Amino acid sequence: MKIKLELFGASRDFSNKDYLEFSLKEKSSIKDLRTEILNFVENNFKGNDNYKKLVQSSAFCSEENNIVSDNYKITKEQNIGIIPPIGGG
Amino acid sequence: MLHTKIIDLTKEKIEIVNAEKFIASSKCGASIYFVGTVRDLNNDKKVTGITYDSHDALVIKSFEEIYQESQGKFKFENSAVFIEHVKGHVKLGETSIIIAVACKHRAQAYDLSRFIIEEIKKRTPIWKKEHYENKDSEWLKGNPIKSS
Repeated sequence: MKIKLELFGASRDFSNKDYLEFSLKEKSSIKDLRTEILNFVENNFKGNDNYKKLVQSSAFCSEENNIVSDNYKITKEQNIGIIPPIGGG
Repeated sequence: MLHTKIIDLTKEKIEIVNAEKFIASSKCGASIYFVGTVRDLNNDKKVTGITYDSHDALVIKSFEEIYQESQGKFKFENSAVFIEHVKGHVKLGETSIIIAVACKHRAQAYDLSRFIIEEIKKRTPIWKKEHYENKDSEWLKGNPIKSS
């Protein structure tokens, strides 16, 4: 199952594009997706500690624009947004 | 009465005249305009500009939720709220956000305006990348959002 991870804020430094793509097993959760992103950071940025902390402190947003917990089951191919700690205004 | 919008600076400008038009009402005796601008110094670094990033759909949803909560909390009659936030690059001194409120009385307008900006700071998914005089830039650390 392919997941397109839309990048926002500091996570934009993960790629020159606006997104990353991950292949997840059926019935994966946000927790599994977070683990995949941490693996991506390990492999592509030599385990950059700041990037790992960023992933660990980020929330995730479903295609329906809801902030979802680590237990949220991803039941179909979809776009998911990574929401790093925020600070606008 | 609520107006919300993300202003994409590559396409349009953020302008206070739009806020003035929206909140104008003879039922209200007090108007407050909060205008956020880019400051020249942060953490002892000389700032030349900020790039704002936004999850547009979530931002609008968050503005609407904050407005609904404010209506439940304050129960003011005939209030008007205008919220616009930019995305893209903002130079020193330029505007990043306008919150305009109109209420019957001044105390209500101050309370409502303050509530809205403080809630936006806590929970609206907007990010800042500061640019400095020495050409460095960095994403500012923020507050984590939790799932409900």
